[in-house]
Amino acid sequence: MARRYDSSTTTFSPEGRLHQVEYAIEAINNAGTCVGILAKDGVVMASEKKVTSSLLAPAKSSEKTYKLCQHAACNVAGLTADANILIDQARLRAGRYAYQYCEAIPVEQLVEHVCNYKQAYTQYGGLRPFGVAFLFAGYDTHYGFQLYQSDPSGNYSGWKATVIGANNQAGKSFLKNEYGAKKEDEDEKMKGCEE
Amino acid sequence: KYQVQISEARKMSILEYNGAAIIAMGGKDCVGIACDTRLGAQAQTVSCDFRKVFKMNDRTFVGLAGLATDVLTMNNLLKFRQNLYELREERQLTPKVFSNLLSNLLYEKRFGPYFIEPVVAGLDENNKPFLSGMDLIGAPVYTDDFVVSGTATANMYGMCETLYKKDMEPEELFETLSQALLASVDRDALSGWGAVVHIVTKDGVISRELKGRRD
Repeated sequence: MARRYDSSTTTFSPEGRLHQVEYAIEAINNAGTCVGILAKDGVVMASEKKVTSSLLAPAKSSEKTYKLCQHAACNVAGLTADANILIDQARLRAGRYAYQYCEAIPVEQLVEHVCNYKQAYTQYGGLRPFGVAFLFAGYDTHYGFQLYQSDPSGNYSGWKATVIGANNQAGKSFLKNEYGAKKEDEDEKMKGCEE
Repeated sequence: KYQVQISEARKMSILEYNGAAIIAMGGKDCVGIACDTRLGAQAQTVSCDFRKVFKMNDRTFVGLAGLATDVLTMNNLLKFRQNLYELREERQLTPKVFSNLLSNLLYEKRFGPYFIEPVVAGLDENNKPFLSGMDLIGAPVYTDDFVVSGTATANMYGMCETLYKKDMEPEELFETLSQALLASVDRDALSGWGAVVHIVTKDGVISRELKGRRD
């Protein structure tokens, strides 16, 4: 059945699915939750850090939140090793854009670049997709504060509030009810979400 | 080599086309770096506010003398690389590391170089002065007294050698640096038309504009 269409990333199944991409998305559902909420004066992101062992040396920096440039950052859910590659790509892209145009890269363009990079691993090369989902948050003069979510397929969309990682379905339905009630109270919602 | 010839003008080295004068000097737990502000097209003066010293971070300054387009490009390139370093390493660039980065970037273009001769000045982790100068392909020289670069280097070497003293305090360093620069550019047609001096100490930077001869 679906088995024989599993191994190759670059082959559709008869039902029109890319199984490798879907399995990658499954891998992320076991990772630490990340919540992102867009407010009128900024974006709030919160992440759950999974402590796997008390023997682990204290991390020099976060394994969840990364600065991409002066005006954008991202939160990661999934394989940290895969994420590091993509974050470096994003930083290079933002830097090269600023070098070429002497202007800050619009947030959506940065997101699209990372996503295009991810998409290539679902269509060429026989390599597996990246097992990472991102929440991108940033500001630019064109659209103000923005929040984007992306997944291993290379697909992305803009959100007012969203959740990735473990229990994201529960988180999303919570946000669906709560969001918009009082936009300023992100902390309340964040706490609610983490539960 | 690297010569330009515009009609009704004599042959000139490409490094002298725009004109520049930069001095960096070390003091007691402080550094100073100064530049002129002239931008010319050979004999014609085009701007009197073209600064050639750029702040990379609170402790690192770079002065870029030479062809103006390369000065601006190198500044952008350095900002790009510095930004990448700070994002990846989550710490600031020290002057020594910055100097090595610059040297490396210049040598990458060994057979088609940037026409600049930079000067790096800053304070290291212990607030001790760091100075370095290099040629257009990145050969560095490290000193603790002074480094000069530009079209008036002969003048600047003479002035610095005469006026320099070890362990000057920031105020005295400013005076020395200013006098050395002003006197040097007055005898050079291609530099001058204003000057800027930055004095860097652990407590911060003080930048002053000098009023000099505008000819």
